[in-house]
Amino acid sequence: MLPKRPIILLRKVLLCFFLFASLNGRAQEILNVKLDGTEQGKSLSAVFDEISKKTTARFYFLPEWIAPISFKKSYQGQTLGEALDNLFLDTDLSYITMYSHAVIIVKDSRQALLRKSAIEAAVRQQRKIEQHMFGEPGKSKKEQVIINGRVVDAKTGETMPGTNIQISETSYGTSTNETGHYSLALKPGVHVLNVSFIDYENKVIDLVIYEDGELNLEMEKVPFLLDEVIVQDKMTKELTTSRIGQMQLTMSELKRSPGMMGEVDLIKQVQSLPGVTTVGEAATGFNVRGGSVDQNLILYDGLPVFNSAHAFGFVSAFNSEAIRNVSFYHGGIPAEYGGRVSSVLDIQSKDGNNEKWNGNAGIGMITSNFMINGPLQKEKTSMSASFRSTYSDWLVHSIRTDYADLRNSTVFFYDGALKLTHLISNRTKLSFSGYSSRDSFRLMGDTTYQWNTLQGSARLDHQFSGKLSGEFIVGRTSYGYSVLNNDYVTASKLSYCVNTTMLKAGFNYQEGKHKINFGWQLMHYGFNPGTLKPTSPISTAKDFAMDKQYSVENAFYASDDWAFNDRIFLEAGLRLPVFVSFGTASVNLYQEGTPREITNLYDTLHFSRGERIKAYFGLEPRLSFRWAASPTSSIKLGYHHLYQFLHLVTNTTAVTPLDIWQPSGYYFKPQQADQISLGYFKDFSKKKYGASAEVFYKSMKNILDFKDGAQLILNTHLETDLLQGKGHSYGIETYIARNTGRLTGSLNYTYSRTFRLVAGPTASESINSGKQYPANFDQPHIVNFAWKYNITRRVFFTGNFTYRTGRPVTIPLSAFAFENTTIAYFSARNQYRIPDYHRLDAALVVEGNNKRKKLVEGTWVFSVYNVYGRKNPYTVFFRSLENGIPKPYQLSIIGTVFPSISYNIKF
Amino acid sequence: MKLKASFTRLKIKWLMAFMVLSACVERIDFDVPPAEFQTVVEGVITDSSGPYTVNLSQAMNINGDSSHRTHIQQAKIKLYDDQGNTEDFTEASPGVYITGGMMQGEVGHAYHIRIETSDGKIFESEPDKINPVGNVEDIRYEFEARTRQEPFGEVRADVFNIYVDADAGTEDENYIRWRFTGTYQVITHPELHYTDTPPYTPYKNPFPCSGYVLLSGPTGTGGTLERREDCTCCTCWVKQYESLPQLSDMQLVSGSQFKNVKVAEVPITNATFYEKYMVDVEQMSLSRDAFEFFKLIRQQKERASSLFQPPSGEIKGNIKAVNSNDAVIGLFYATAIKKRTEFIAPGNIPYPVTPIDYITLPCYDFYPNVSAAKPANWE
Repeated sequence: MLPKRPIILLRKVLLCFFLFASLNGRAQEILNVKLDGTEQGKSLSAVFDEISKKTTARFYFLPEWIAPISFKKSYQGQTLGEALDNLFLDTDLSYITMYSHAVIIVKDSRQALLRKSAIEAAVRQQRKIEQHMFGEPGKSKKEQVIINGRVVDAKTGETMPGTNIQISETSYGTSTNETGHYSLALKPGVHVLNVSFIDYENKVIDLVIYEDGELNLEMEKVPFLLDEVIVQDKMTKELTTSRIGQMQLTMSELKRSPGMMGEVDLIKQVQSLPGVTTVGEAATGFNVRGGSVDQNLILYDGLPVFNSAHAFGFVSAFNSEAIRNVSFYHGGIPAEYGGRVSSVLDIQSKDGNNEKWNGNAGIGMITSNFMINGPLQKEKTSMSASFRSTYSDWLVHSIRTDYADLRNSTVFFYDGALKLTHLISNRTKLSFSGYSSRDSFRLMGDTTYQWNTLQGSARLDHQFSGKLSGEFIVGRTSYGYSVLNNDYVTASKLSYCVNTTMLKAGFNYQEGKHKINFGWQLMHYGFNPGTLKPTSPISTAKDFAMDKQYSVENAFYASDDWAFNDRIFLEAGLRLPVFVSFGTASVNLYQEGTPREITNLYDTLHFSRGERIKAYFGLEPRLSFRWAASPTSSIKLGYHHLYQFLHLVTNTTAVTPLDIWQPSGYYFKPQQADQISLGYFKDFSKKKYGASAEVFYKSMKNILDFKDGAQLILNTHLETDLLQGKGHSYGIETYIARNTGRLTGSLNYTYSRTFRLVAGPTASESINSGKQYPANFDQPHIVNFAWKYNITRRVFFTGNFTYRTGRPVTIPLSAFAFENTTIAYFSARNQYRIPDYHRLDAALVVEGNNKRKKLVEGTWVFSVYNVYGRKNPYTVFFRSLENGIPKPYQLSIIGTVFPSISYNIKF
Repeated sequence: MKLKASFTRLKIKWLMAFMVLSACVERIDFDVPPAEFQTVVEGVITDSSGPYTVNLSQAMNINGDSSHRTHIQQAKIKLYDDQGNTEDFTEASPGVYITGGMMQGEVGHAYHIRIETSDGKIFESEPDKINPVGNVEDIRYEFEARTRQEPFGEVRADVFNIYVDADAGTEDENYIRWRFTGTYQVITHPELHYTDTPPYTPYKNPFPCSGYVLLSGPTGTGGTLERREDCTCCTCWVKQYESLPQLSDMQLVSGSQFKNVKVAEVPITNATFYEKYMVDVEQMSLSRDAFEFFKLIRQQKERASSLFQPPSGEIKGNIKAVNSNDAVIGLFYATAIKKRTEFIAPGNIPYPVTPIDYITLPCYDFYPNVSAAKPANWE
């Protein structure tokens, strides 16, 4: 039974007001009530009763908790607070104050202590604190209560997916889904929630909860930051995510970092993360933990991206202005993702502003970009559009070179994105996303290379109930390239393309401490592996078309994210992919027991349209475990097994947009990878510093490598030129960061090795006589150092330094004469290394006025790429001198210091 | 295949773009083991009568600037067949060993050699069998107009493409190489050689091999030339070798018939077609191992122009070190050969060829791969 009088029943207290540093002062007025000695001999509940009669103070408690407690002596002259401290000594009771007039007696003193320290920390950091109360002690006997609600931007009303909601001083928390909803299971009692999103002011919720409640939150942008996409992997984030190997690669200080030619580049940023490497400046994509470039799943609004680069890798294909957030997974990859064996880079585009129109524009050395977004119907429908294009022709034309006449050359690219978002209701969001990118590249007149991506998707997010939400995506993406030869006599067009249609239904169900994800995904691929057409009447080019290839990848997945208790978290999942390749096709058959070579071809199998050529089924267990060893440290373990059904076929070190994607089929088995990783993560000095160390071991099967001298374009018998083998890699990744203060920065060091082994039944089907050899991107030592120094609030000095061991190459060891010609004798594959790579970049960023009301804000970025002009070798090649002896030469892509300026405005 | 080959240059082109964007190219040196430790063996036995030759040398240093070959002398080399016959090679000139003509290669039999160097190292080749060779049935040529980019503009670079039709002889295991050799006649004028170094007399300075001598003449003329003997260095025959070995491709065979196999490109210049051009095509049957060896050479040559240079494989051949771990590369192979010759007259070029360059050096000092001896089948 509850005490009758003074207690005002606050069933659903949604009253809230902001308390800043004064929180304790106001709330403690009741506790400062002086006792007069008359309380001696009375029970505690009677004294509470008396005080609430005399003042506005209110007390909340369960009578049976405090029934045994009475004032055995006089506390005259002491405050109520002092008296309570004394009385609760040696009991499990504690008290907290709310709204300056309420005292709540709580049973779990540990919870109360945690709350106290969290609130104190929030006050110290001048965070905004909101107080909310649901139910009252004793009203419910529930083991746990659920709080749910929606998070929106206070200014624009946009929903805020991906907002982190974490219980202070623990590692337990959640994040909002695509419609901005969240749901969190809590023990009844007092809690402090931290709500955070990059570039938004952190919010602290002082929560007393004894029954289920709905709490909608509004977040405010940090006023002096630009509305920009940044990528960061701060340790504070790392600890709050439950997964190992996930960089909630949301946003770092990308725009303030020195980019090459002033370009802000998402992929370049990914390349500087621990465990990620690249073979050089002009390389598309990146290598993750010893995996090849094609083993990274890059998703743009849920659809796979086949080429992530403009201008052969100099610039990434994504305009940072159009990106909302980016998640990068390279360990314990969630079951929701599949189809590539090394990593996932999940890019989500920006929704439009729901309240008012705004935009920004930027001018750089080689590209200009423009972005605009705003409401089509206030609070309902919004759009966001961005466009970026190059005008680097002048740059090419202005370069004087001995190599070629460049007046006839052209380098052109653009990318554009459009997103429409419509809120059907608070629970249902419909969005359409379109993306297009195109490159055209012509050198010295006669050959033009073009490649393009076009994709569109529709997505429906729906909150079925507080516990169940779903997402439904349908989309299509098309990637293709063509090579136009304009020489009149041999004029031709070589085309390649791959079309992917995707359907996905994903569900999220939360019940207590379990978060269950399950769903289904279907992809249909249509490949045109190559057609060659003569394009002039006298062209000698052959009219030739390779057979089209069709395949379907179908997968079911389910996973359970289980918070076993405050300290132990487990996410276990399973994905079941099925891959089927279909005719029409002709498959070459080779004599049993002989090397798979065209000389041993004896028959051809024909498959009619739609006939099944080969089917593969996989079982992919996923596991991610985390143990919060203390409030500031955790130990994490990740394991995954993955299948990959599409292979990128290349015989050059750097992947180019002109490489071919080859589906698994009769000869090419799907790639497989197992990876286990274990890490220790720790925060120091109240998260001012973070550090981590992670070890991993990964083994791969059926990875493709090419035979010495393979010919890949327009090859109707690729199976004779490619070999499948094994690979493994291992390493340790260490990281240390300073997260707050005038100088922030991070330093990571990785030691890792990655090897390949191709041992076929015959010598010609083996590489290096079947012995293990280092992979092209085996770079044992990698150091990345990045810093940002705030000279003033608006002026930053930023920079980064990179060091990588030179990658392996195959070189001629000697030369010999044979029948009137000089022949180079090459080393076994990848037995030598090019010189180490190191580079320092720096930038000075001057941001515009910080006033909130200002109409236009401008930002200048002055940057210098390759500050000390290091000639980093990109590749080594051999030129035969007149006597026929090949001599090694190194090619440096960026051989000089490269300064640049860019200017961005926001309106 | 031509179709594919035309796209191997794709990547070279765009790499040029990188160079354009402030790239730079520099020599780089690798710390490689000295080449002298590598023994190079080059030898062949055919189904025609000997003598057969084996060349022994050391590999050339990759960092060295000369193509000077260090010959390995005083080695003992023995030829073996699969019937127990043997014959010794003798060193005819430094590093060049020849047989005495006792043994002759026969189709269906396997041959190998054993080498013992003066410092006691033993190398042995894997037995290589002579396969039946078939026949070159036809040689055809086709004019192709081409241009080449030079710093001063576009220049003509026309060629004759040479095609053969061939019968492989058997329908299976067709490992065939077509070895192309071109020959053309050139002339020079060594008798008109003169010097213009101080003190400027005499101006005229004919090479003795021209058959002319300089007699004194009126002042200012530099003397008078008088012919005493026939010129032995005015007419030469230049050999053009294939740039890469031409090998059979099973995609081009129907039954045992190869049609339209392109074996060479003959450049059309004022020298190559001064008189006429002789095309020799030797059809050679190879074993699988020898075929692989030539295939790797071909791939290496094809890629040599690519800056991306997908790694070439180790070209090892069939020679093994018996009593040491010494590196050895090379091939001793056995082949049956059928040869066919064809001449291309300048009249097949659709325009008049400009006159041959006026050269005042002995012909064998100016042209490469040249000899003043008239080839036996030059008509």
